[in-house]
Formats: sequence, C-alpha cells, structure tokens
Amino acid sequence: MDIGWLIGGAQGAGVDTAANIFGAAIAKTGYYIFGSREYFSNIKGRHSYFSLVISDKPRYSVDTRVNILATFDAETIFQHFDQVSEYMLYDIALADTDIFKVRTIEPEIAEDQAEILKKAGYGTTVSEVIRYLNDRGVKAIPIDYGKIMRDIINTLKMDSFSVERARNMVCIGASFSMLGFDKKHIENAVSSAFGKKKEFMELNRLAAVAGMNAVMEKHYDFKELHIKDRRVQLDGNTISAIGKIYGGLRFQSYYPITPASDESTYLEANQILEVNSDKKDSKQGIVVLQTEDELAAINSAVGATLTGARAATATSGPGFSLMNEGISWAGMNEAPVLITYYMRGSPSTGLPTRSGQSELKSALNAGHGEFARVVIVSGDHSEIFEDAVNALNMAEICQTPAIHIIEKTLANSYSIMNRNDLFSDKLSIKRGKIVYPEEPEDYKRFEITEDGISRRALLGHAKMYYTGDEHNEYGHISESPRNRTEIYEKRIKKIKKASDYLADDEKVRVVGNSDTVLLTWGSPKGAILDAIEMLADKGIQIEMVQVRLFSPYPSELVKRAVAGKKRIIAVENNYNAQGAEIFTEQTGMAPTGYILKWNGRPIYRDELVEAVMEIVNKNSRKVVLNGGK
Amino acid sequence: MEENNQAMFNDWCPGCGDFGILRGVESALSEMKLDFTDAVLVSGIGCSGKLPHLVSGPISGVHTLHGRALAFALGIKLANPSLKVIVNAGDGDTFGIGMGHFVSAGRRNASIVLIVHDNRVYGLTKGQASPTMPMGERTKALAKPNINESINPIALAVTSGYTFVARSFAYDTALTKELIKQAVSHRGMALIDVLQPCPTYNDINTNEWYRKRICKLEGDPEVHDSSETLGKMTEAIKNAYLEEDKIPIGIFYKNELVPTYEERIKEYIPDYLENYPAIHTIEKNGKPITSIERMLDARSVA
Repeated sequence: MDIGWLIGGAQGAGVDTAANIFGAAIAKTGYYIFGSREYFSNIKGRHSYFSLVISDKPRYSVDTRVNILATFDAETIFQHFDQVSEYMLYDIALADTDIFKVRTIEPEIAEDQAEILKKAGYGTTVSEVIRYLNDRGVKAIPIDYGKIMRDIINTLKMDSFSVERARNMVCIGASFSMLGFDKKHIENAVSSAFGKKKEFMELNRLAAVAGMNAVMEKHYDFKELHIKDRRVQLDGNTISAIGKIYGGLRFQSYYPITPASDESTYLEANQILEVNSDKKDSKQGIVVLQTEDELAAINSAVGATLTGARAATATSGPGFSLMNEGISWAGMNEAPVLITYYMRGSPSTGLPTRSGQSELKSALNAGHGEFARVVIVSGDHSEIFEDAVNALNMAEICQTPAIHIIEKTLANSYSIMNRNDLFSDKLSIKRGKIVYPEEPEDYKRFEITEDGISRRALLGHAKMYYTGDEHNEYGHISESPRNRTEIYEKRIKKIKKASDYLADDEKVRVVGNSDTVLLTWGSPKGAILDAIEMLADKGIQIEMVQVRLFSPYPSELVKRAVAGKKRIIAVENNYNAQGAEIFTEQTGMAPTGYILKWNGRPIYRDELVEAVMEIVNKNSRKVVLNGGK
Repeated sequence: MEENNQAMFNDWCPGCGDFGILRGVESALSEMKLDFTDAVLVSGIGCSGKLPHLVSGPISGVHTLHGRALAFALGIKLANPSLKVIVNAGDGDTFGIGMGHFVSAGRRNASIVLIVHDNRVYGLTKGQASPTMPMGERTKALAKPNINESINPIALAVTSGYTFVARSFAYDTALTKELIKQAVSHRGMALIDVLQPCPTYNDINTNEWYRKRICKLEGDPEVHDSSETLGKMTEAIKNAYLEEDKIPIGIFYKNELVPTYEERIKEYIPDYLENYPAIHTIEKNGKPITSIERMLDARSVA
C-alpha cells in the first residue's frame, strides 16, 4: 500500500529538513520513499512543501492527493486541504485564522481556495476547513503546538526563538506516530541529523517525542520490513555530483543559479577524494571555481579540459543561454566539456524554483553553427548517476561538448535507492583517443580521420593550436574552401561514434508491453512507471518508451520500439511536446495523442492515470494537466 | 602554401604595433627557454588574437573568444598550474566585452600574464573607439568625436588586485620583452598594458605622438612589507594619471606578498601544486577508481 504524506510551512521554517529526517526514519523501517519539494523563489516566509510517497516498493513519483496532510501553519492548511483524503494534523491555535488574513499566500491562490470552500457552503477560516474536511470523511487532528513549545522552553531553559523553530519536528513526530512505526527510528533520525550540535539535537529530539505523544493513537498499522540491502537517500543535485566524481570529474566551474548551485556546493564540500590507486596519488582534489558569470564558467571549464582534466560546469536556463558562445567554441575546437543543465520553468527568469521541460531544443541547438554535441536526459535519480558518468565518457570519446539535462523536479526530490544498484558492471570510464605524441612538434590536433575523431594530445605534451576561426588540421586559421569542406564534415560526422558503447536501454528505455505507448523523456518517466501498475489495476495496459539520449538520437531503437503501435501518446512537461517534435524529425513518425503540462509542477501519477484513461476511453487527442500547488 | 605547423603568414598591417609586441613575446619565450611543455599562449579576438598563430618557435596557442581569453586562461592555469599562461588580448577585448573577467582576475591573483594590445580602437572592425580612447578624441574612422570617458587600465588593475602592473610601448621591444620576462616570473596576476599605434585607424595616437610623451618611470614600485601597500598603490595610481603631457612606461606596482590563487587552493588541497587535475589518473582498465563510499555512507539510511 502506498501512503502519501505532505508537510508544508514557511520557507525557512525547516520543512525540507523535517521531510528529510522523516524520510530517513521511514527508510529504517524498510519502506521506500519518493519525495518531491516545491518552493518559491524566496529566502524566508513563502509557502514551501514536501510531498512523499511511502511504499514497500521503489517509487518514482508522487500524487496530487495525499493521505496525511501534516501542518504547523495556516497557509499549508489553506493551500492543500483539497488534496487530503484521510488525516490532517493542524495547530489548534489557528482555528480562527482566515485565508484572507494570511499575507504570504498569493491572491490568485487564496481566491481559488476560498472559492472551493464558498461553493460548498463553508466559510474561509481554519475551523471551517476542518468542518469541510470532517464532512468529507477526513479527520482533522489538533496539536497544541503552543503548549508543547512552552513545556520545552521550561525543560531546556532555552530561548523561545530557538525552541519555536522546532515545530517542524513536532509535526513529523506526530506523523510518524500515526503510521504505527517504532518511535526509536524517528528519535535516531533526529539525533543523527543534528548530531554535531548537542543542544539542538536535544531540542529537536524532545520536540519530535512531544509530537509522537500528541498523537498516541495509531491510524495505520505499518509493519517493519526486513532490509536485505544497503540503502541511501539521495536528491538529484547530490547524485549528479557523486556521479561526476565517480566519473573522474576534476574541475567544476559555476556561477550561482537555482536549482544548479547545490551540486557545485556539494562538490566543493567533498573536494578531497580517495582514489583506489597503488600510486602515491591516492588523494586527489577537485578544483571548484566560482566564477564572475556563466561566460567565465563555461570558458574556464573548456580551458581546463584542454589540459586533460575532466571538466564541467552546472547551470540552468538563463546561465545556459549565456554559455552558448562558449559551447560553440568547444564544438569548433573539439573540446570535451560537460554542461550539467538543470532545467527549470522558462522563458527568461520564468519560474526559477519550479520545473519544466521547455528547453530541450535549446540544449539541442545551443551555440551557433553545426557541430557534434551529446545531449542526454535523466529520468530518475539512478539514471542521473549513470548518465553523469556516460556524459563525461561521450564528451571525451567524441571530443565535443556534452549536455546532461536534469529537471528541477529531480534535482530537488529524493529517492531511497539500493546502494549496490548504482555500481552496474556497465559503468566504465572511456577517455577516447588521448595520446602523448612521439613527435610532439609535428602534431596535428585536428587530423582528418576515418571516423572524424583525431588523436587528442593535451596542452603541455605537444605543440598545438586551437582557434574559434575555421582552421586546418594543425589548428591554424584557414579559409580554404577545400579545407572547410573536409574539416567541417569531420566535426559533425564523428557524433555517430559517441554512443556506440552504450547498451540499448541506456539510450532508450522500454518498460511494459502494450499497443498504447507513452513516449516520454526525463522526469515524467517516474509518474509513468508508477502509473503502469495503477492503470493495470483498472484493466489498462500501457508501455513506456523513454528516450534518454537525444544526441546522437537513437532513431532505429526508437522506431523499433514504437513500430506498429496503435497509440503513441507524448507525455511531456512543456507546451509544444518538444521531445515528440524531435521524434518526428528523426523518425518521420508522429504521436497520436498528447498529455502535456506547463504549470511549473511535475506530472503527478494520479493525474497521469486519469489523462491516459481519458485518451484510451474517450479517444481524446490532447489532455492538458494542471495538478499541483 | 603547404599546410604546416610553423607560424602562419603574418597579415597585420605594415607598421602595426603588434609586431613589436610579437617580437617581445618571442624574445621573452626564447630567453626564458619556454616551449609547449611549460607554457601556453592564450588570446582573445581581434588583431591581437592572432598572435599565438604568428609566434615562431615551439609553443602552443589557444585563440579563444572575444572578451573571454582570461576565463580560458584561468581554466588552463588551475587545471595545470605547472604551465606558464600568457594571454594576449586587445583593449576592447579586455576592457569592453571582457571587463568582468579583468576585474575578477585581480581578485583571484592567479599567476597569469595579461598583455593588452592597447591602441584605443577596434581595428579589425574598422576603427571604432575602444574603452581606452579619451573622450572628445575623433580618430579617422569615427563619424563623431568619442563621447565616452576612457578607463585607465593601470589604475583599474591596481584597484582590482593585480600584483604586477606595468605599461610598455609597442616599439620598445627591449622593455616589452623585459617586462614579459618579469611578469612570467611573478607570483600572481600580471598586467602589461602595451601602448600601440594603429597605423590604419588611429591617426592621432601615432608613433610620433607617443615618442614625444613617453618617459621612464622612476622609483621602486614594489611592496616589500605589507605596511607599504597603500602607499605604493597610491603612487601607482598617481603615475597612471600623468597621461597626455607625460606617459610613463615601466612597472607601476608589484606585490608578491599577496597569496596567489594557486596558493589559496593549496590551503584546501594540500598537494595541489604537485598533483593537479590535469594529471590525475581516474580509471584502471576502464573502471572508475574514485571512491564514493564516504559520500554514500553520509547518505546511508539503511
């Protein structure tokens, strides 16, 4: 059985921390979790929330609806009351608060939510929401946060400002208790999260225990499961950083931007690496460079690759736009640089903390001119790890820029994963044609070869020239038509070699077997995988075809996967179905239906199930989703 | 002409100041016995950008983007700090489109040499005013006199944190060579602003114009004790603004007491200078050898 749980609160009130600790505690009981984070572009005060699915099987997405709504402020109640199906935890002191008195709530949202209440004949205070919920079979469970806080202040003799910050722990303590798990897990999770600061550890532990005691009654009866493997809890930013480290990254440049920076911060915090080497370089350091802008970020990374270091940068839409000229130089100069592209809501500043898939074509066409590039897109957290390593490989094999797309929704969500699953035998490091020339003074950096890939010597090891001007095999400027024709073709045709070593399912993943194919890429994969089961329960079989590699595009594999299917439904987080447009361009085939969403939120599995049913049962051609808060 | 990896045919205008700078670079490299194994030339876009292709001798060149030469140079230097990195860029390149990098390079103080080819015009695009052209000046390609104030490269470098700041004159190849040698040996970020006639587009700041005004700087520009820093910086800025009636050339400011960027990295990566990213072994028989166990342990939940 899957249980959906949602905790919300003001940004800065510890919603994220609470959700992480709650998830770690759940993980100890043997259950899997998928957690998704939503927040405003704001430091403190705006509404943020974390939504989790708890399951005995690995899960990859969340629902719009939740079983338990865990709150400790009024805005969370007002924003999410219409999503809860069983229980709501709330602060008893907020009963009289009116939705229009909550200053942080956006006017459009307040009006929409008030309308739901008014239409059904209720007022707009918290107590009216509780009545609304009771009438719909949802039990509202009051918690006297104020009293709990006062008791802790008296016990610990701490200032009220510090203690008040532990309301989030009360909230997860109460939630954990409801599920019927052994309380020691949440106590341990709190202790290890605050391990370094004794005083705060005790405060938060006491708050969590008080929360547990506030809801003594078990509302669910979860039994602990036996755990046979070792598990880790990882978010998308972190798993990308770890994947890059494993793949040999030794130089990362970045300019701060949401939601990409956390990856670079993590790399810097973990820059001293242990290497399993018998040589004396058993410790290696990653250089992490915070630059003055994204122009310096891309170009310093390109400079670093010329010396032989595996180098990358990480950014999102606005920064990526600025990097275009540098990407074009890297293409022209056959420099293997990795750009980890965190995709968020666009155009322009767009929705900086929300998700979207509207920049696939931007990645595929970045940089002026025609040149080989690798574009790979991850659909879940373990793919991010694998793709980071493969992107570094393909960049070096093909000697060209590689772009690894990770959407905000994956960057800021987390999964519980089996640790050993990360270390697939398939994972390797391929450095391509690196050479240390025997005649370093007569070396041709851009030698014309059969496959278009030249021997690559590194700065310091041979005499060589690079230039963004058209150049000859030595790298000297050349405007000769004959040279242009040859060397231009070389730079493009070599892309064919980039992905030769990948297994088919690293390029295109097919799950299920049905006449109805959901054709997708990136994060909607998660909702689709979960929906396959949910739809099967309703007698509808679907198959997922997930394109993981967009350049070089695996046309034959994709064609084979969709050949003869009755329905091909494009499922994407954008308006134009960009992935499907590329599919049509590359295969000459077209989707028969569309499930699209561009409201800045990921695709939720319950809304996806309904959309598929609408297409299958009513033959609708296009369904636009709008789930999420 | 048969393709070869020797210097390209030099297509600068006859009389271009760039020839003097090229000679200075070549002589400095040869006297310091630097070749592709221990040095690299990086350049931006414009006439100056072609320099790496035109140097005779066994040296590698990276001809980059307009304004971005310093960013490429920084990546090269930090991934392989054993390389001497010498940047040649134009005045528009450095102080127009690339100004952000110029200032940030001072803040970092990495050991990189920046030689600015400063002729006050954008030559390759037919003579527009560059950021170093004084206000009111109207060189022959300008439709109207320049209505932007000029920046002062020397003063800007000093206040941005450059720890070697010098000016030369393109036709004084001996001084240019000497300054390059000193800058290459300097620990920290070095600027050599080379004043240069553009015989095609700058009909005001000509060779004769410069010859009448140029004089040698006097005094000791070096900070020997940190208490002298402010005084020497002030002196350098004062000298930087003498222009028009008197244009001093030589070293304006030098300070090796400021830690370099490489040294700052070494604070956190102790063996960085010996075991830097460019030479790291990252695989064995095609398998990754970087351990991620500690990182996974930290995220272990069961």
